[in-house]
Amino acid sequence: MTPAFPFDLLIVGAGPAGLSAAVEAASRGLCVAVVDEFPEPGGRMLGQFHEEKGHWWVGRQVAEQLLDKCSALGVKIRCGVSVHSILRSGAEWVLKTSEGSMQARNVLLATGSAEIPHPLPGWTLPGVMSIGAAQVMANVHYVKPGRRGLIIGVNVLAMAISRELSVSGVSIAGIVLPGIGPITGKEASPKESLKELMGLAHLAPSPLMRIGGKAANALGMAGFVSRFIPRSGIKIWDIPLRLRTVAVSINGRSQVQSVTLADVNGEGAVIPGSQREELVDFVAIAGGLYPLAELASVAGCPFVYAEELGGHVPVHDEQMRTPVEGLYVAGNITGIESALVAMAQGRLAAATISGDTGLLGQHHDQEVQEAMQDVRRVRASALIQFRPGIQEARDQFYRKCGRFQREKNGIKEEG
Amino acid sequence: MNTSNLIVCRCEEVTLEQLEEAYQSGCCSARQIKMKTRATMGACQGRVCRQMLDAWVHLKNPQLPRDAEQLAYRPPIRPVTFGQLAKGEV
Repeated sequence: MTPAFPFDLLIVGAGPAGLSAAVEAASRGLCVAVVDEFPEPGGRMLGQFHEEKGHWWVGRQVAEQLLDKCSALGVKIRCGVSVHSILRSGAEWVLKTSEGSMQARNVLLATGSAEIPHPLPGWTLPGVMSIGAAQVMANVHYVKPGRRGLIIGVNVLAMAISRELSVSGVSIAGIVLPGIGPITGKEASPKESLKELMGLAHLAPSPLMRIGGKAANALGMAGFVSRFIPRSGIKIWDIPLRLRTVAVSINGRSQVQSVTLADVNGEGAVIPGSQREELVDFVAIAGGLYPLAELASVAGCPFVYAEELGGHVPVHDEQMRTPVEGLYVAGNITGIESALVAMAQGRLAAATISGDTGLLGQHHDQEVQEAMQDVRRVRASALIQFRPGIQEARDQFYRKCGRFQREKNGIKEEG
Repeated sequence: MNTSNLIVCRCEEVTLEQLEEAYQSGCCSARQIKMKTRATMGACQGRVCRQMLDAWVHLKNPQLPRDAEQLAYRPPIRPVTFGQLAKGEV
């Protein structure tokens, strides 16, 4: 069904950023619609839960609260609808979807992120999946991905989802490194992985990990600590985190039957004779996330590469405005962070769009400023920090984008 | 680790060896390798392998800036049906 009139705001993605933006924008009087290609709204919140200061944060409940508000405010939510193109026609956007065209004056892209695999021999066997797929199977569809699994890749996502799987009754043989391969490079070495783990050391219930993380963080001695990690690994929530072990290959005839593991030294080189087989029936590969920004590119938005944010990110300012008129971004498309940050960014984007539409009146600047401060506050207190130093990386990104904008407007840089 | 027959692009079944051959034959950028091998051009349109291709090309020349050339995205960015094509909805 294509409405005869254009929406004030069309949001692509019904996850934490998209739904928060929808609530905020609709409560300010905008006519809002949300589309999402998954059959159910909520995005990745549907499968997320973690322990936070003694209680469980349950993503599905947060999504349901936002959806209740959306329906009270008359937000149109259409699920199972894929957007395959976006183009500008006069003062409006036209989005081509699997269910016909939709028109809107403003578009907010809240498309989130996608996963990066780590290829290793056997990674195309049935039973190998991305860590996010394992999460969706267990927590969204309530199907165990297997009886006993191995996680390849050490990062925040791997840690959080291993914990969820183990709580759901799935046995996890351990979390191991992907090993230095032709594609992974040195970030797969014990030293680099440990550096990344510093950012979430406070999540660990094990005092060894907590203290080790804090000390190394303060002293910047990731190399020093990695020499002292025992071969057998460290247990975190009863899951062995093996920072001195790599996956060499995934084996099996018609499906996963085992993984060949090997020990490595601090630099990531395999120790001869240390190879052995671990029997598992599924493997989850955690290669990290990258911003899913295809539509921003099709709409003509330029990109800037920022490693800390997860890769190529559409150019935008701190108010979530892209250089393309009427096009805004929020959530993981702007860089990989947790759901709470995405929600704050969604509210900020809605405030900016309301301001640009002339709905905020004389207090416009102040409201946008407050929403901006809120994003910074939520980020600073976020339990799950995907990368250490994310705020610094953001500040650097905004400066780069500001320069980009001024150059585009023909203003010469001084100095 | 024998990685020569390792598949990188699952849709088009492009192996690491084929990427290496393309590189040796003079394809230096991700875009040139894509044109030569069809990596990232399958049904998933590179959602699975373009990051790996980018990372692999970057490791070949770590000094080159990463802002410069990104593989293009072209609509339709999701698979469409013949029915939609016939109705002119694409």
